[in-house]
Amino acid sequence: MIGVARRFTSLAVLLALIAFFSAFAPGFNTTISWVNILGATSLFLLIAFGETLVMIAGGIDLSVGSMSALGGVVGATYMSSHSDGGASYVFIGLVLGLLVGAAGGALNGALISYLGLSPLIVTLGTYGAFLGFANLISDGRPVANLPAGAFTLGNGTFLKVPYTLWIALGVVIVLAWMMRNTRFGRYTYAVGSNKEATRRAGVNLNRQTILLYGLAGTLAGFAGVLTAVHFESASSSQGTEVLLVAIAAVVIGGTPLTGGEGSVWGTVIGALVYTILQNGFVLMGFSSYWQLVVLGVIIIAAVYSDDVQRNLQSKLGNKRELEILSPDPVEGGAAGR
Amino acid sequence: MATTDRAHPRAAADAPEAAVEPQVGSLRFVNIAKSYGAVHALEDVSFEVRPGLTGIVGDNGAGKSTLMKLLSGVISPTSGSIELDGRAIEISTPTKARALGIESLYQDLALAETLDIPSNVFLGRELTSRVLGVKTLAHKQMMTATRQALSEVNIRIPDVSQPVRSLSGGQRQAVALARAIYFGAPVVLLDEPTAALGPRETAAVNDMIARLVALGRMVIVVTHDIPHIAKAADRIVVLRAGRVVRELASHEADQESLLAFMVGVST
Repeated sequence: MIGVARRFTSLAVLLALIAFFSAFAPGFNTTISWVNILGATSLFLLIAFGETLVMIAGGIDLSVGSMSALGGVVGATYMSSHSDGGASYVFIGLVLGLLVGAAGGALNGALISYLGLSPLIVTLGTYGAFLGFANLISDGRPVANLPAGAFTLGNGTFLKVPYTLWIALGVVIVLAWMMRNTRFGRYTYAVGSNKEATRRAGVNLNRQTILLYGLAGTLAGFAGVLTAVHFESASSSQGTEVLLVAIAAVVIGGTPLTGGEGSVWGTVIGALVYTILQNGFVLMGFSSYWQLVVLGVIIIAAVYSDDVQRNLQSKLGNKRELEILSPDPVEGGAAGR
Repeated sequence: MATTDRAHPRAAADAPEAAVEPQVGSLRFVNIAKSYGAVHALEDVSFEVRPGLTGIVGDNGAGKSTLMKLLSGVISPTSGSIELDGRAIEISTPTKARALGIESLYQDLALAETLDIPSNVFLGRELTSRVLGVKTLAHKQMMTATRQALSEVNIRIPDVSQPVRSLSGGQRQAVALARAIYFGAPVVLLDEPTAALGPRETAAVNDMIARLVALGRMVIVVTHDIPHIAKAADRIVVLRAGRVVRELASHEADQESLLAFMVGVST
C-alpha cells in the first residue's frame, strides 16, 4: 500500500511537470518532442531497471554505467569489424554486449556473495575495472563504422515509436511480471526486506545474488549496445553520467535505498521525470548545466518525501490487536484438557 | 494444482483438511554440551521431550537460548547427540531443522517486514504452478492456505495482503505460527513468544499455542512467564548455569518452587 502511495506521488510530480512544460515550454507538447523524450528515456531505462532490482534487494550496483560502456564497446568493436555486413552481425554484436554484461554482473554477484563483501565496495572496484577494459579494447577512442543495420535498430521506429522504446517496454513488462510471479522476484524483495530471515527460510542467497547482479549486468550490457547503435558509435565515456541518472530514476520512482519494496514501473515514472525535466529545460532555454543541479535537488526531495510518507504511514498505521475467532479460549492449555 | 519442490504433507494432499496431523513421539537430548572456548554454555544436558507443551525456564545465561539454537540448526553441539524418535539426528543448518520437521519461531521473529502475510508464511517454500512451462507463484492458493492456517489456531487477520510491518506483535506471532501449522511441523520451538506483548495479546498467543498443542504437536517454549508456564505446561525443564537442575511434571510445578530451582535456593 505504501508502494502504491509512493507511486502516486511520483506520478503526480510527473503530471505536474508535463502540465508545467506544456504551458511554458514552446514546442514541448509535440510529437517530435515526445519521440525525443521517450527515445532518450528508453536508453538509460534498461540500466535503471537492473539498478531497481538490485536496490529492491537492498544492494547497489555502481558498475552499471561502466558495464554498459564495456558492453557497448565490445558489441560495437565486433560490428565495426564487419561494417558492410548485414543484420546478423548487428544481432551477434548485441548478443556479445549482453554476454559481457552477464559475465561482469555475475562476477559482481560472486564477489559479493562468496567473499561476503559490501556491494558498494565490490561494484566500485568493478566500476573502475570495466571502464579500464572498455578503454583497453577501444584504445580510448570512439568505435564507429557500424553496419547500416545498426543505425536502423538504434533509430528506426514502428508506429512512430522508436524500436528502443518498444524494447524497453517489452523488458519492463517481462520484469514486472517476473518480480511478482516468480520465486526469483519474491526472493529479491525478501532479501531486501530481511536477509537473515530469507537465509533461514532456506533460500540459496549466493545463487540469488549472482542471478540478480548478473541480470543487472545483462541489462546494462544490452543498454550499452543499444546506445552504441543509436549514436552510431561506442565510447568508454558513454557510461559515466548514466549511473547518476539511473539511480535518480530508481529513487524518484519510489524504490528506497533500504530495499524490500519498489517496482520497475516506478522507475519508468522516475526516468520520465528526469528526461522531461531535461527536455523542458532545453526548450525553455535554460543552461544545460542547471539540469544536474535540479536533478540533485529532485533526488534529495524524492527520498525525503518517501521518508515523510513512511513515518506518516507508521503513525496512522492500522495496527490492531490480535483477533480471536471464537470467544472461548482453550482453558489453561494442554494441562487443562 | 499447486506443487512445491519440498515435500510437505499439505501440498501433497488434495484436500488439506483431511491431512493427518504429523506426529513425533519423542525428542531426546543425550549428554549435550556446548562450549565457546572456556565458557560452557551447556554441560551434560540430557532430557526427553514428548508431545504436548514443554516449558524451558531458567535465569539469564542458564543456556535456554543455546538449547534453542541447537535445535533450530543455528549452532552445533560440542558433544552429545539429539535423537528424534530414537534416531540420532544432525541438525547442521536451519534448512536441515525444517526438513526434519522442527520449526522455530525466533525471538526476533525473522519475518520480512515489507512482504505480505502469505509471502512470509511461504517464504522459501512457495506454492507454484506451471504457466506455459514457467514456474509461477500460486498467489491465490497461498492466500487461502494462510487464512486456513490462521483459523486453525482461531485467529482472524482481516487483510492478509498487508505487509507484516503494519501488524501488531501478536499478529506477527500468529503469522510465524501459521508457518509451523501449514507445513505441519511436528516440533515447534518458541523463543519468548509473549515477551513483547500486552496482556490481551499475550492471552491470545497463549491460546494459539494451546491449540497447537491440542493438534498433537510437540511444542517447546522458552519463557520468562513463570506463572503461565507453571499452569499450562505438561512438563517443565529448569536450567541453571548450563545444566538441567530439575524436570517437573505439570502437577509438581508451582510458581514458587520453579523460581527456587531457577535461582538455586532448592536443588
